[in-house]
Formats: sequence, structure tokens, C-alpha cells
Amino acid sequence: MTTANEQRKARGKRVRGLIGKSGEFRNPERRLAYYMVLPTLLIILAVAFYPVADSIWLSLHQATLTVTGPFVGFKNYLLLFQDSVFQQALANTVIFTVASVTIEFVLGFAVALALNRPFRGRGLVRAAVLIPWVLPTVISAVMWRLMLQDQIGVLSYAAHALGLVHQPILLNHTYLLIASILVDAWQTTPFIALLLLAGLQTIPADVYEAARVDGASTVQRFLRITVPLLKPTILVAVLFRTLDAYRVYDLFYGMANRQLESLSTYVYEGVRITQLQFATGNAAAVFIFVTAFLVALFFIKVLGMRTATEE
Amino acid sequence: MSSAGEKYRRFSRREFMGLAAGGAGLLLLGGCGGSQGQGGGSQTIVCSLGPDTTGARQKQIAQFNQKYKGKYKVKSRIMPSDVTQQLQQYRTDFQANSSIPDMIQGDCTWPAELASNGWIIDLSDRFTKSMRAKFLPSTLTSDQYSGKIWGVPYWHDSGMLYYRKDLLEKSGFSGPPKTWDQLKEMAKKVKSDSGTKYGFVFQGANYEGGVCNALEYIWSAGGDVLDPSDPRKVVIDSPEAVKGLQMERSMVDEGITPQSVAAWEENESQAPFLHGDAVFMRQWSYVYALLSDPSQSKIKPEQVGITFIPSFSEKEPGFGCVGDQSFYISAASQSQDIAWKLIEFLSEPKEQKLAAIQGGYLPTLKSLYNDQEVLKKVPVMGVAKEPLARNKPRPVSPYYSDLSLKLQAQFNNSLKGTVSPEQAAKTLQGQISQIIKKASA
Repeated sequence: MTTANEQRKARGKRVRGLIGKSGEFRNPERRLAYYMVLPTLLIILAVAFYPVADSIWLSLHQATLTVTGPFVGFKNYLLLFQDSVFQQALANTVIFTVASVTIEFVLGFAVALALNRPFRGRGLVRAAVLIPWVLPTVISAVMWRLMLQDQIGVLSYAAHALGLVHQPILLNHTYLLIASILVDAWQTTPFIALLLLAGLQTIPADVYEAARVDGASTVQRFLRITVPLLKPTILVAVLFRTLDAYRVYDLFYGMANRQLESLSTYVYEGVRITQLQFATGNAAAVFIFVTAFLVALFFIKVLGMRTATEE
Repeated sequence: MSSAGEKYRRFSRREFMGLAAGGAGLLLLGGCGGSQGQGGGSQTIVCSLGPDTTGARQKQIAQFNQKYKGKYKVKSRIMPSDVTQQLQQYRTDFQANSSIPDMIQGDCTWPAELASNGWIIDLSDRFTKSMRAKFLPSTLTSDQYSGKIWGVPYWHDSGMLYYRKDLLEKSGFSGPPKTWDQLKEMAKKVKSDSGTKYGFVFQGANYEGGVCNALEYIWSAGGDVLDPSDPRKVVIDSPEAVKGLQMERSMVDEGITPQSVAAWEENESQAPFLHGDAVFMRQWSYVYALLSDPSQSKIKPEQVGITFIPSFSEKEPGFGCVGDQSFYISAASQSQDIAWKLIEFLSEPKEQKLAAIQGGYLPTLKSLYNDQEVLKKVPVMGVAKEPLARNKPRPVSPYYSDLSLKLQAQFNNSLKGTVSPEQAAKTLQGQISQIIKKASA
């Protein structure tokens, strides 16, 4: 009883604290501060929340581009999950995300460790490594498409000569998915490498020295010092890449030219090209938003990623 | 949901789109300098066009502005070259009730959607019977929807069969093939006689052109997507349609066409032909002009002939797919009469002639196909005169973009061999019936 009462009292105090005599809003300076933040909050609401809310609203109606029809509850979501094209798009996107991020992380980590050692021309190599990442994705996608194309494509020629493939690469769904994973790895490994390199350089050298004096092996130093101290950077890098890969659009569109569906291309097609799939397209957009949000939450809550420099 | 809420929502979204379209309009017009008000008292309209690098269209508009100096002034707005992107922009404009553009140049698959949404005006009264009689009949069919006419065709094109005269002669054939089987036989013989790399090339990718190609096979077998006499009836799952798709697939199976044709659009398919690596090619008319440019083509126009799309019987040739473009007038335009004046002006023989000679836009007026000057300067009009007049439009539906996506995917699957032609036709029957059901609901 008493505890409940105390809690209620405390809550009352807190509420009064905000609006009460001695509270935040009684202090003219603080009140002014709130007024000054208000426009920003409104802009954030309008810019960040309105589009999402609008998509959610549309996804619950039998909407077309021109008419918002009657409320249909979750029917669009049911239709969405039954659509084999969507299932395929979801599978493609998940496979692509998991595979490409894994490859990029392993390779990127290795490159970062290599670049962390002093050697001649290190500056040049660091800059050179970035080249694939600097190219706009659409351009690299089209470039790789030409190499995979079977009339003039050098990769297609090599793969056929080596007996690796038995069909034009651009027609086979599996080949295309593998190719897009590899192209993505090619393109964004440098991004991970540079992020991790920056993290590696914040680890003080004396920690390693102390460990070496204590007789720790290379493997021990890596596992006990490098990995734990690098964890915050790793989580940021992997989360960025995961969300980025999950939204893949330009690579699939540029390289596979509609032979490979991702969640984003599915949404584009539904909302922008067709008329009748407008509502399911919106439902898919909401699905992407919610699932991406859950992935981010997982990183922050379960893996303990820090979103700000606390303390 | 209350109806008031419903109304409010629709209104607010529309307003939002209005802002967006207005913004886009301002941006696009900003470069031209001057606003609608400035024109020395003349009334200004905006005409939205696809890109034209030849300058023919600009010249025509300048001529119109000259003719009506002080009265009317036309400004052109140039759109992206991809018609799908164009349609997306127009949906935004029209939905926002934007008064810009007043008039658009559009694809022949659009009128049903634009008309059923009330976005373009019925031209039945303006585009009189006597005026229509001057046009090639097949160019008018796709602008008709629910018994009215919505657009005026200004640019005609059709699928046709290009063939290598020299190679066929060398192998002892006196003329081009009339049926698909003859085409196969000739392709095989020429391939072994002359060592040509490919027999037949066409466009089979998962895109709009893939629909045009597959439909030509289906039509030549007597099939169709929708019943021509009752467009609410879906007839794609018929033995005729299956026969057409089987024929398309057999080109790949019998090694006449490379497997990768299922990823080919216009550019990929014309490259081997211009390089001298193919005996036959299904294409639009524009490639013929490329033949006389040695930097683009290794073969010369003399080596190439054009004929009808083949069919299944020698008695009747197949049909080419219509690839026309027309002019449409926006229902939200404040100056529909001026827009119509511009259309009338651009439909005059001398203007269509200019567009054909300078811009390569094949005319829609019958008379120009007998005009010696045009025939001399645009030789494909003579070479392909008959194939250009034998064609069919793609299915007419207010939901054509939905319908087309399904056709694209299944036709492509059938050509790739991931599903059988029978299965593709069956799947399409279900999917398209659904679309038609939704459309009539």
C-alpha cells in the first residue's frame, strides 16, 4: 500500500515538476528553450513520422493511386504474404543481406588488420582501397552487368570456359543472386575496412605491449584485446551494412534488370508502376520499415550497441 | 471510417501531390525563362514531349509559335525517354489536377488508363470522321476506348521482320519466309552455308518489348490475351496462344536463337544483326536508318529486306505489334482549344513530313506513304510499307500497366524455359482474370 502511494506521490511530483510553481515551465528561460525547440520537433514529426504514418494508413485501406478506398484491416498484408513474388523478394533480400554482410565483414576485418600495420605506401593503398566504394552503385552495377553479359562479357566468357556455368548468367536466378552478393562485397568491403581501421587505431599500443610482456600469444591478443575493444565499431559497421543491404535496390535493378526481385524493387513496382498493387506495395513498405527497425533494436538491445557516447 | 475523414484524406493527399507537381513544373519551366504571363498578351500552353535529339519537334513548335505570333505560344516540357517514367510523372500531374501540361505526347497503351480516370478529354467531336479517314486505320485502334477516340496518332511504328537478302539468295531462297517454320528452315540452312552466328534475334527480356514480341507469335497463331469482341473475356489460356508461345520457345530450343535472348532488349538484339551475325531480326522501323551509317553497321541497306512478321500459314501474314505514340489533351487544361489547334497543326501533311524527314518519326497519315520525297529520304517507309500497315494493338485495359507486368513475367519465364508455355498461359489466365475482375468492380 505504502509503496503504491509513494509511487503515486512521486509521479504527481514529477508531473507538477514540469508544470508546477517551481517547474520547468515556470522558469522563463527554460520555457523559452522549449518554445525554441518546438519548430524542430514539428519538423521532425512532419518529415520523419508523417510519411511512415501515411504508408501505414494506406496499407490498411483498399487504396489505389487515385482513391483511398474502404478500410480493410490487415487484408493487404495477408495478400502480401501470399504473393509468391513477395516471398521470392523476401528470400532474395535476406540471403543477399546475410551473405554479403558476412563476406564484407570477414574481408573488411582482414584488410583493416593488414592496413593497420605500418608499411611503405600505406597512405596510397588506403586511398586505393576506397575506389570501388566511391563509384555510384548504379554505375558499378551496369559495369558488372556488361561483364556478365554473354555477347561481350569477359566474366561470362571465363565462367563458360571454366565450365562453372551452363546458362547465360543474366538469365539464371541463382547465378544472379551470387553475382550480386559478390559485387556488393567488392563494393563495400572497403567501407567496413576503413571503419574498422579507424577503430583499430584508437586501441592504445601499450595494451598490446603489456599483453606481450605477460606472454599472451597473437591469437590471445586478438581475441582478448582487439575484438572486445573493437566491438563498438564492429557493431556500428555491421548494423550500417545490414540495413543498407536490406534496402538493396539499385544493384539489383542495374545489374539484373528485373530478373532479381528485392523487397525495395517490389515496393517500387507496386507503388509506382502498377495501379492495383498500390496497397500491397504500401504494405510491403511498412514491412520493410518495421523489420529494419527490429534489426536495429536487436543490435542496440541484445548486442549492446551504444547509440551515443554515454558517461 | 467516416466519409468526412475519407474526404479530408483524399483532399489533403491531392493537395500534397499538387504541391509536388507544381514544384516539378516550376523547376522544369524555370529554365525556359519567363512565366505564363509574359508572352506579349498571347495565351501560353505547355506541351509535354519525349526527348528529341533531332530538333524536329522544336522546329515544329517554333513554326507554330511563328504562325500564331501574338495569339498563342507553346512551351515544350521535355520528359525522360522511358515511357514508364513518363507515365508516372503524368499520373502525378493529372492526379493533382495540375493545369500543366495542357497536352502530352503519350504511348499507345495509355489511353484506357488516362481516359477511365478522367484525366484526358474525349476528342470524338474534334477529331472528325473525315479527319480520321486520312490516317492509317491501324494507328487509330489503340486510341479508342469505350467507343470514343481519345488521342491523335502522330508517330507510327510496328514490329517487322528484317532479313538478309544476300544470305538468303546465296543459300538459294528466292524470297523471305512467310511462316515460322520456313524461317527456321532458312535460318538453319544459312547458318550452315554461310556460318552466320545466329539464325533469328528478337527481344525477349522481362520488359514491355518482350510482351510485343510474344504477342506477335500468339496473334499469328490466332490467339489473343483478351477477346477482341468482348474485352472483359480473358482468352490467353487457349490452344492458339499456347501454340504461339511454344513457337517462340522453340526458336531457343532448336538453336536458332541464342538462349540469352530472354535478357535482350532492342539494343542487344540489333547489335548482332548490324554486325552481320544474324540472318533474321524482329525489330521496329528505326533500325533500318542505322544500316546506312557505317559507324553503326557492318552491313548495308542493300543487303537487308523487310517483310511481315511470319505466321503459321502461308495464306495470311502475321501481325506486327503497334508501337505508336499519340497526342492527348489534359482534362485539367484551361486552354484545350489551343492544344487542339497545335494538334491540328502537327497533323498537317507538311508537318508530319518534316517530322519524318528530320526526326525519323514515321507518319500516321496515309498520303505520306506515297509521297516521293519522304519515301526517298525515309526509305524504310517504302521498304516496309506493307508490314507497317499490318498490325494489332496490345490489349486495351485501364489497368494495362498491371496486366503488362504479368505478361512480361510469364512470357519471359516461358521463353527462358523455367515454366512451360502451357503453364505460363494457365497462370496468366488466372492473373489477368483477377485484374479484369478488380477493374470492373
